[in-house]
Amino acid sequence: MESGNMAHPKNPAVFSIQHFCLHDGPGVRSIVFLKGCPLRCAWCQNPESWKASPDIAFKAHLCIDCKTCVNACPQDAIAAPGVRDVHKCDLCFTCVENCPSGAMTCFGKYYTPESLMEELRPEFPFFGNTGGGVTFSGGEPTLFSGFVADLANRLHEEEIHTALETCGYFDPQKDIRFLSDIDLVLFDIKLYDEAEHSKYCGKSNTDIKKNLTRLAALSFSGTGPGIWPRLPLIPSITDTHENLTGWAEFLNNIGISFLTLVPYHNMGGPKRQWLNLPSAPEFPTLTDESLRASINLLRENGISCFAPGEEDWANSGLKT
Amino acid sequence: MNPPLGSTVLTQRKEREIPEPLPSLNTPTKRISAIREELLNTRYSICLERPLLLEKFKTSPQGRRARSSHPLIRRARAISYILSHRAPKIYDNELIIGNMTSKQVAANYYPEGGSINIMEDLFRLENRQVPIHLTFWEKIQLAKIGFKTSLSSVGGKTLLRPGRFSHFLDFFRAKRYFITEEAGIGHQVGNYMDVVHNGLVRSDMKAKQCLETGTLGNGAPLSGDQKAFFESVRIVIEGIRKMAENLADAAERKAKEPEITDERRKELLSSAAACRHVPYFPARTFLEGLQSCWLVHVALNLEDFEQGMSFGRLDQILYPLYCREMENGRLNAEKAAEIMAGFQLKTCETMPLYSERIDQYFSGNAVAQGITVGGTGADGNDATNELSALILDAFAQIRTREPALHVRVHENTPAWFLEKAVEVVQLGCGKPSFFGDPAVIRALENAGMTTEHARDYAVIGCVEMASQGRTYNSSDACLFNLPLCLELALNEGRRFSGWNPLRKRFGADSLPVAQMRSFEDVVAAFRVQVNDAVGEMVRVISWLEKTYRVVRPTAINSIVTEGCLDKGADVTWGGGLYDLTSIQVAGLADAGDSLYAIKKLVFEEKRMSLSSLVEILKNNFSGHESLRRELVNKFSHYGNGIKEVDTMTQLAADIYSDAILSHKNTRGGQYVPGIYSMTCHIGFGRKTGALPSGRPAGARLSNGLSPIDGLDRCGPTAVLRSAASLDSSKWANCCALNMKFDKKIVSGKTGRKALSGIFRTYFDQGGMQVQVNVLDADTLRAARRDPSAHPGLVVRVAGYCAYFNDLQPTVQEEIIERTAHGIG
Ligand code: SF4
Ligand code: SF4
Repeated sequence: MESGNMAHPKNPAVFSIQHFCLHDGPGVRSIVFLKGCPLRCAWCQNPESWKASPDIAFKAHLCIDCKTCVNACPQDAIAAPGVRDVHKCDLCFTCVENCPSGAMTCFGKYYTPESLMEELRPEFPFFGNTGGGVTFSGGEPTLFSGFVADLANRLHEEEIHTALETCGYFDPQKDIRFLSDIDLVLFDIKLYDEAEHSKYCGKSNTDIKKNLTRLAALSFSGTGPGIWPRLPLIPSITDTHENLTGWAEFLNNIGISFLTLVPYHNMGGPKRQWLNLPSAPEFPTLTDESLRASINLLRENGISCFAPGEEDWANSGLKT
Repeated sequence: MNPPLGSTVLTQRKEREIPEPLPSLNTPTKRISAIREELLNTRYSICLERPLLLEKFKTSPQGRRARSSHPLIRRARAISYILSHRAPKIYDNELIIGNMTSKQVAANYYPEGGSINIMEDLFRLENRQVPIHLTFWEKIQLAKIGFKTSLSSVGGKTLLRPGRFSHFLDFFRAKRYFITEEAGIGHQVGNYMDVVHNGLVRSDMKAKQCLETGTLGNGAPLSGDQKAFFESVRIVIEGIRKMAENLADAAERKAKEPEITDERRKELLSSAAACRHVPYFPARTFLEGLQSCWLVHVALNLEDFEQGMSFGRLDQILYPLYCREMENGRLNAEKAAEIMAGFQLKTCETMPLYSERIDQYFSGNAVAQGITVGGTGADGNDATNELSALILDAFAQIRTREPALHVRVHENTPAWFLEKAVEVVQLGCGKPSFFGDPAVIRALENAGMTTEHARDYAVIGCVEMASQGRTYNSSDACLFNLPLCLELALNEGRRFSGWNPLRKRFGADSLPVAQMRSFEDVVAAFRVQVNDAVGEMVRVISWLEKTYRVVRPTAINSIVTEGCLDKGADVTWGGGLYDLTSIQVAGLADAGDSLYAIKKLVFEEKRMSLSSLVEILKNNFSGHESLRRELVNKFSHYGNGIKEVDTMTQLAADIYSDAILSHKNTRGGQYVPGIYSMTCHIGFGRKTGALPSGRPAGARLSNGLSPIDGLDRCGPTAVLRSAASLDSSKWANCCALNMKFDKKIVSGKTGRKALSGIFRTYFDQGGMQVQVNVLDADTLRAARRDPSAHPGLVVRVAGYCAYFNDLQPTVQEEIIERTAHGIG
């Protein structure tokens, strides 16, 4: 078995494991963020999740200009701190290991299912007393359905609740058995209009709608995990009248009457700088009034809204 | 139903079923809001009544006569004189009466203790960060008192002697330790179970009988000292009765005033009736129970000093009275909550007196009058009752800096109760703090208590420990700077910096680093330095203890401490059933993380010699910033659930604990360790050189059991895991694990469930203590910019709560900076 740090092409890279999360499923949870995403939402706050392979980031504000990285690089890929030639770099991470300040950082670490379980296990006792568990997020965890299914199975063997957060963009024909050890799917929806979706997220939403319909049917027939949709509220993009009423009607049609609204905050900005990515378009901050207006509009259209972490999992009638 | 008799009663049967759903009693009545507002709007001051009465006593006929009597009697007469001559004050609206000082909010002045330190600020009292208001005339009086009594403090009497002068100076340059016992011992959870249910009459009659028969309870003949002790007991009881009567008179006089409403007249008369009955006779009602506690509390404050005077398990103590009155219909839950809230507001009448220099060690104006609720009974079964919840609700009504609230948690603590306690935490006042019964009880058993007595523990002040009513614990005797001992170990007993032309040793002579061949050599040298510093500290405390016995014995404290009346000995003479002296440590995580860094960098990875590392430390990492960053960022630190570094924190804790546990005090009691640091980690930090953990010279140290600020990178559950993994069985004076949560993250039902859930897991895993600040950094920044914006903002500092505005800017800074937990 390979050690957790070595590249393992079959396994996904994990860019973060966060404990004590209260907003992505019931109870106190640990979230495993997997790298790799098929969408490129304009407002994405985790751009480090886009590429499936590990990324090197440079946090200029931490750099003390010691030039250790420049001297340590075996490929001579670093001309000056923060100036890395991506063509020369072979991602050996020597610079990251030797940078004393943490300015050179790596996003993405390979885990085997075993090593990931060991990483999560110390938190298990906190789940029991809060009804929590593990949530797989990303990126898009369905890209690594085998890995996720394996881990979910191991977690279930230890009676740990499992959730999966998805953007819903996967093959509608995909063998759904990879979800057999997932208790709850948090299904992120964005734009209802297909053209708009392609414009802002980089892909069509046809398959997403199909998958949501399919998962809802499985869930309501008792043969699939519970399902809970979530919608990020991006001012004047996803909180428009058409978008909200469009989704409300769609959800009603597939028998879902609840939705989590995730208010938008601009926190992804510095990350794009660290990764040397073009900066994100500016979106206005969501005001309390427009949040309230969205909630009212959805309620008028038969959808009850919840804030992240405040969902009424028990009353959803779903297996959670 | 019979009230429990004798001080042997440990806990009550559950008389009543807990109503379901439990009423929420957290809305203040008009009365409570009015009292609270008045207290918050009253400016801090200093009460000069006590020192003036003490002076008056000395020249009075009684005082002159007392000069030639036994020291116990002399002191008892002085205290009794103060109690019986102080002017009674009745404030508007209050149901529990009895003024703590002559002003509504003020510090008492103790010439025998450390109050003299305020002279440093005499000419700038109003310009202090926490202004103190005195009239011009009062300032002159204060200066006179200070001048006249400057040599009469215990510290002065003990240390202004040939051969001890350098130790006297140590008070002004606290480095290795800070001896707080010099100011007073205080810190007591009296036997309020006995006071409330038997009255002081039981002790009075017992003393009378011993004096009449000339024997102890066990038949042994009384010595001269014992005879004096029993006389001192009767003298102070007389003083307390007189104080209560004076209050009753004042209440009756007030009731006669024409503008008093009929309703208020009734209240005043019933307060007067209560004070004519308690605390001498057993309390008959819930109100009398609290009135009784309050008057004895006031007396204890005036006897010794104000720090850490605590009430113990009021939910257990008052429960029989509450049940009886609930059953006969004379009380309802709302009224009981109002009485309880009014009682808690009384604790806001007092504050400590620190100069700004001392304030950096104990910032926040807290005296920590502790109330403990929940937990197991002596039989090990859950003893949580309706009052446990009502006491929390009463606090939710007032949200003030005092009292200190403590919740005991064990396996069978009801979920509703834990959640209710977390609900109070969510209010953002930093209270209550939580204690794990199994860990605390085990540590107390190790310190020599029976299981039954250990199970009846209550918190003294902030986090310290007592079996309530049975313990004399000088629980805040001294604070100890552990990382400095490591600095000394790396430099043959000398500090890294400071002017030292004669190369004088500050600590012990230990192995030069050049000769250290292994990590074990480093540990051995560290042990030598810790033992040396502890030995030195014990020597000074022993001198103080001997002075206490003669100039400051405490008869009232002895009445409320089981054992004294049996042995015929004052607590300062070793009368308490359990006798302890407790030493607190600062910088535990710095010491542990530094040991880890040395081990890994020098002995495992062999990246540099120990001598070169020490050279770099002596130069405060100058020219080696990248090494410092690496130590901070790339080396593991305590608080992230990483075993290999957490075991080094354990090693540091054990070296310290073993050094402390190897000593006995002069009363025959055991020295025990505690892991908390008030705000001493800031003061100590200033005097401590650079550390291998990457901490630069002068920076603050880690506090209590908490990780180094900002180096807990895996979230709050990892901090709890690390803390729970440590063996706390030696920490009989407990520990303080501070956590700060962003208000947004832990609000509402989700936050409540999450916090109560993770705390339960922490205690299941053997955790001993945790306390929480729920706040958002914006609130704090706003409060710092404009102190008037949030006058009532309460934060938890180390083991205690304080108004944010009362804190030193450096402490405010720390509170803001401290990792705001809550990733997600
Ligand atoms: S990852 Fe390796 S090759 Fe790439 S810049 Fe860093 S040291 Fe050079
Ligand atoms: S090693 Fe790190 S701190 Fe040093 S120059 Fe490179 S990025 Fe900056």
